Amino acid sequence: MTTDARPTLTTVPAWIGAATLDIATEVGGLVVLSGRLLARLLPPRVDRYELVRNLHKMGVRSLGIVIVTAVFTGAIMVIQAAPLVTRFNAKEVIGWGAGFATLREVGPLLIALMFSGRVGANNTAELATMVVTDQIDGLRALAIDPLSYLLLPRVLAMVSMLLTLTIVGDVVAIGGAIVAAKALLDVDPRSFMNSLVALLSTWDLATGLIKSVIFGAMIAITSCHFGLTVKGGAPGVGRAVNASVVAAASGIFILDYFTTYLLG
Amino acid sequence: MTGRGAEAVQPGVLEALGSGPIALAREVRALLAMLFAVCRLAVTGKKDRRALAEQAYQIGNRSVFFVSVTMGFIGMILVFQSGLQALRIVPDLTMLGPTFAELLVRDLAASIGAMMLATRVGAGVAAELGSMVVTDQVDAMRMCAADPLEYLVVPRFLASVVMTFALLIWGAVMAFGAGMLTANVVFEVNFSTFANFSLVDRGDLAVGLTKCLVYGAAIPIVSARAGLTTFGGSEGVGWATTSAVVNSSLAVIILNFFISAAGYLLFPG
Repeated sequence: MTTDARPTLTTVPAWIGAATLDIATEVGGLVVLSGRLLARLLPPRVDRYELVRNLHKMGVRSLGIVIVTAVFTGAIMVIQAAPLVTRFNAKEVIGWGAGFATLREVGPLLIALMFSGRVGANNTAELATMVVTDQIDGLRALAIDPLSYLLLPRVLAMVSMLLTLTIVGDVVAIGGAIVAAKALLDVDPRSFMNSLVALLSTWDLATGLIKSVIFGAMIAITSCHFGLTVKGGAPGVGRAVNASVVAAASGIFILDYFTTYLLG
Repeated sequence: MTGRGAEAVQPGVLEALGSGPIALAREVRALLAMLFAVCRLAVTGKKDRRALAEQAYQIGNRSVFFVSVTMGFIGMILVFQSGLQALRIVPDLTMLGPTFAELLVRDLAASIGAMMLATRVGAGVAAELGSMVVTDQVDAMRMCAADPLEYLVVPRFLASVVMTFALLIWGAVMAFGAGMLTANVVFEVNFSTFANFSLVDRGDLAVGLTKCLVYGAAIPIVSARAGLTTFGGSEGVGWATTSAVVNSSLAVIILNFFISAAGYLLFPG
């Protein structure tokens, strides 16, 4: 009797415990990796060629999807704010309403999610492939530190490029919002900009950009961690990429909450 | 001189301008063809209940935790942000709940939840199918006269349509609950004041549910195409997974734009 009851009684706690341990293992791995990378920043020992290559690959070549995302985000925010402003008959604040949400919250968030999908996933796949084909061990055998040769340039490139892309995306999103406001609500671009400039503070803009730096670091560390801890051939690479994008997305949302809370 | 120079430059510029849209049009056409083929097979083909249940579990049950966490946090963030903003202009937060409910139902619950599922489900589907392609399992199926679309894509498609719909509604509930708690703790808004759905009308509900359905159909098709067109070993699987995540997220954003615009024109106010 007790042997029958026992599995059902212990299944749920065992499942919760296993899930908690899994999450703790990954978070611990992330923290250790960040610590090691920070230690290599003082003094900075970065392979300059790798850095430039990654800046180009991660930044310049993501410009297309960031622009597409930003244009549609700006336009969507206007469409969503449109019923509200027509209800209160306050068309002149649409610039502020759409611009505030885009610049402070939605813009950095969506651009970071797209960046995580494109650059983060790609980075995990690349590192995981290198691990699976023993290239990382090859580097170690040649006494080249994989952290400062492979990881540090990638992390620096991701953080700086996500910030740059968010700035570009902000500009493009405002453009998309202006076009949508003109087309849907017949709001003059000039009055759109007036309400945006008058009501938006510099701090609002800065909050969005600070967030993008934090998101960039989060994406960089998660994608490197999951790439390096891959196990088992081609299916393993797929699983690592999957785990990496899921962890990066959860991390982005959780950090977003705390930065919003702290920055006010 | 200038004429020759212009000749040499012009095709390059035209090519650069044209290749993007042409590639995009081809991709969209291929996706639509796949969507129709999958829908036809879903109706006429054999129904493998075990595969369907397995996929529904993989796509649905195993995403519940992820969706709950992310949507809970987005609910907290949105209420916190908009509460601070509202206090800057009017010191009255009674409209916070109704407005939040309307935005959530019409757009944010479906779209942000679908972006999350695009990463989770899209990466999963593409990684799985991609690994099968590079290890020649898909070709083996074709040799056995088994259509990979029917055996692999249809169960994932059906499971995703049903499960995305359910998960997005669950995500909306989580986001609203988390938002309600935040409003109560931070701004001292009563639960009963916050949980006011008077602004949610039929149009909002129709637009929101359409979005849930369309995203659920778009994500597996886009990712299955990325997975099935994989080539080149474990690096190829990585590429396929990346493009599945990017393309299905982009699909969500672009579909959101069109559905929102149509919704605004159909149900103004």
